[in-house]
Amino acid sequence: MSIMAYNGAAIVAMKGKECVAIASDRRFGIQAQTVGMDFQKIFEMGPHLYIGLPGLATDVQTVAQRLKFRLNLYELKENRQIRPKTLMSVVANLLYERRFGPYFVEPVIAGLDNKTAEPYIAALDLIGCPMATDDFVVSGTCTEQLYGMCESLWQPDMDADALFECISQSLMNAVDRDAVSGWGAVVTLIEKDKVTTRTLKARMD
Amino acid sequence: MAVEFDGGVVIAADSRTSAGTYIPNRVTDKLTKVTDNIYCCRSGSSADTQAIADIVNYHINFHRMEMGEDPLVKTAAKVFQDLCYNYRDSLSAGIICAGWDRKLGGQVYSIPLGGMCIRQPVTIGGSGSTYLYGHVDATFKENMTKEECLKFCKDAVSLAIMRDGSSGGVIRMAAISEDGVEKHLILHEDITKFYRE
Amino acid sequence: MAATCVEFATGGFSFENCRRNAILEEKGLKPPKVYKTGTTIVGIVFSDGIILGADTRATEDTIVADKNCSKIHYLAPNIYCCGAGTAADTEKTTQIISSQLELHRLNTDRTVRVCTANRLLKQMLFRYQGHIGAALVLGGVDSTGPHLYSIWPHGSTDVLPYVTMGSGSLAAMSVFESRYTPGISREDGMKLVRDAIAAGIFNDLGSGSNIDLCVITKDKVDYLRPYDEANKKGVRQGKYAYKKGTSCVLTETVRKVEFVVESTQVKVEAMDTV
Repeated sequence: MSIMAYNGAAIVAMKGKECVAIASDRRFGIQAQTVGMDFQKIFEMGPHLYIGLPGLATDVQTVAQRLKFRLNLYELKENRQIRPKTLMSVVANLLYERRFGPYFVEPVIAGLDNKTAEPYIAALDLIGCPMATDDFVVSGTCTEQLYGMCESLWQPDMDADALFECISQSLMNAVDRDAVSGWGAVVTLIEKDKVTTRTLKARMD
Repeated sequence: MAVEFDGGVVIAADSRTSAGTYIPNRVTDKLTKVTDNIYCCRSGSSADTQAIADIVNYHINFHRMEMGEDPLVKTAAKVFQDLCYNYRDSLSAGIICAGWDRKLGGQVYSIPLGGMCIRQPVTIGGSGSTYLYGHVDATFKENMTKEECLKFCKDAVSLAIMRDGSSGGVIRMAAISEDGVEKHLILHEDITKFYRE
Repeated sequence: MAATCVEFATGGFSFENCRRNAILEEKGLKPPKVYKTGTTIVGIVFSDGIILGADTRATEDTIVADKNCSKIHYLAPNIYCCGAGTAADTEKTTQIISSQLELHRLNTDRTVRVCTANRLLKQMLFRYQGHIGAALVLGGVDSTGPHLYSIWPHGSTDVLPYVTMGSGSLAAMSVFESRYTPGISREDGMKLVRDAIAAGIFNDLGSGSNIDLCVITKDKVDYLRPYDEANKKGVRQGKYAYKKGTSCVLTETVRKVEFVVESTQVKVEAMDTV
C-alpha cells in the first residue's frame, strides 16, 4: 500500500467562467477503517484562495500549519494578500526543501487573482513540481477515476451553477469507485463577490 | 593510452561514451587539457572524470599563477592522485596524466582506480585496455621516435575499438613536446584494419 | 513549545522527515511516484544560433499528469534549457541556476556566457551525485557564438552540434543522425527539430501532445509554444451536463467577500548617504 493511500482522500479543482471551485471528500481513515467523516482537507489561504491537501493526514495538518505560518509572514512583510501564483511558489518551495524526505501531500490550489480576478488552479506533486492548467486538476487516491469524470464532464466557460454540478458529480462518482475516500463531500465555489461552501449528501460506504 | 618518447609524449583515445547499450556521444574528446603542455586521458564515469579534471585544472592553473612558471607533469599527476585516492570509495575514474616539462621531459603517469600513481614509459587504461596488454608488451620498444609512437598508439587503439564494445568512434591522438601540442584525428574509415575484408 | 513553532531559514534541503519516512517504508508503505517528464527534448546548432525543442507531456507513472506542460526553461535572456527526468528537479534546478546567472549578470554587467550556465549546472548536479534527477539540454548564444550542451543527472556534459535527451531521445536521435547537416538553415532546422520531437511523441509512450520550440539567435529569442499541435483533440459533439440541482446539498454557507484591489505606490526617494 502506498503512503499516500494510508488515510485516503480525493480532491479536485476546476475553472469556470469568472469562478473556480475546489472540492474534497471528508473521510479520515486508517487504511480500511474509517475513523472520521468530517476531516478538513481544504484550507483557506485568502479571501479568494483555497488549498486542498490530500495525502498522509499528519502531513496534511503539518503542511497546512507551516503554510499558514509562511503566509502570515508574507502578509506582514508585504502588507497585502498573497496571489494564487505566489502561493503556488511558496508551496513548491516548502515541498522542494524536503526533496529527499518529503511530506506526503499533493496539494491542489484554487483561487481568483486579487488584481485581475482571473481564475487560477494548480496542482503540485509531493516534492513541489507545479502544474497549472486551463481546465481542471485532481489529486488523491482516486485520480484515475477523477481524470475520467473530469475529462468527460468539464467544458469551457461554465457559470457558477454549472461548475458546481460538474465538480460535485465528478467527485461523487469518482469516489464511489475508491474504497478509501468518500464519506461525504464538501465543495467550495469561489466567485468575485462571494464564496459558497456546500456539503453534499453522499454515499456513506 | 600514453607513450613516452624522447622529448615528449603521445596520448591517444577512442571517442565513445556509452550509457548501457546507447551511445550518447560518439565524438567525445577524452584527451582533456590541464595546462598547455599537460593533458589527461579520462576513463570510467564521465561525470567523475570531468569533475576531477575541472578541479585539477583549477588547482594547477592557480599553482602556475602563484609560481610564475609552468607546473611539472608530476605535480599535476600528484593532484590527480590526491583526489582519486581521497575519494576512492565514491569515484570510478581511471586517469592517465601525461605531458612535457622542462625538468623531466616527456612523462606518463598512470592513476588507476584505487588512486595509485606510477610513472611508466607506456601505459594503457579503460575498458578496451584488457585487449591490449599482450599487444603492447610485444610491440612496445624503448626510445621510439614520435612517428613510431603515433603509429603504435593508432594500431593499439584500433585493436581495442575492434574488440571492445565500449570503445569506438574515431581515434584522437596528441603529441606533446617542448614545441606544444600537435593533434591528430583519425576518422573511423582510416583506423588500422587487422582483418581481411 | 515556542521554539518548535519557529522555522529557521537555513537554506538548502531539509532532511527532517527522512528518518520518519524510512520507518514508514520499512513498515511496507510504498513511497509515492513523483511527476516525471518521460520526455523527448532536443537541441541543434544551426547557421546562426540554437534551436531547442520539447514535447509537452508530463507523466505520473502511467497517468498523463499534464497534457501541455512547458519543458523549455528560461535561464537568462540569451540562454534556455530543456529538462527531462524528475519534473520538480528540472524545474527547481533551472530556477536556482537562473537566479545565480542573473546575479552574475548584475555583478559583471555582461551578458552571461553559456559555458558559465553549463559549469554551474554540472557542478550542482555532480554535488548531488545523481540524486537530483535532471537531464538537461542547454543552449544559448553569447559573445563567443552559439553553444549547445547536454547535461546528465550525474553531472557529466557533452558538447555536440545536435543532442537529444529523455525517454524519446533514441527516436529523435535517429531523425538527427539521418538528416542533420552542419550549417543547416533556420527553416530546415526548425522542420528537423519538429520532426525529431514528433518521432519521440509518436514512438515513445512517455512523450506526447504538442511540440514547443525555442529559437535563439544573436539578438532575438523566439519562444514558440506551441509550435505545432501534433495531436489535435476532436471536437466533442454531445454534452454531459448535469441539470442544476442534481447534487443534493446538505448545508450551505455563503460568505460575501469584497473584491479589493490593493495598489501600492512606490515613491522614489534619494538614498540616505549620511
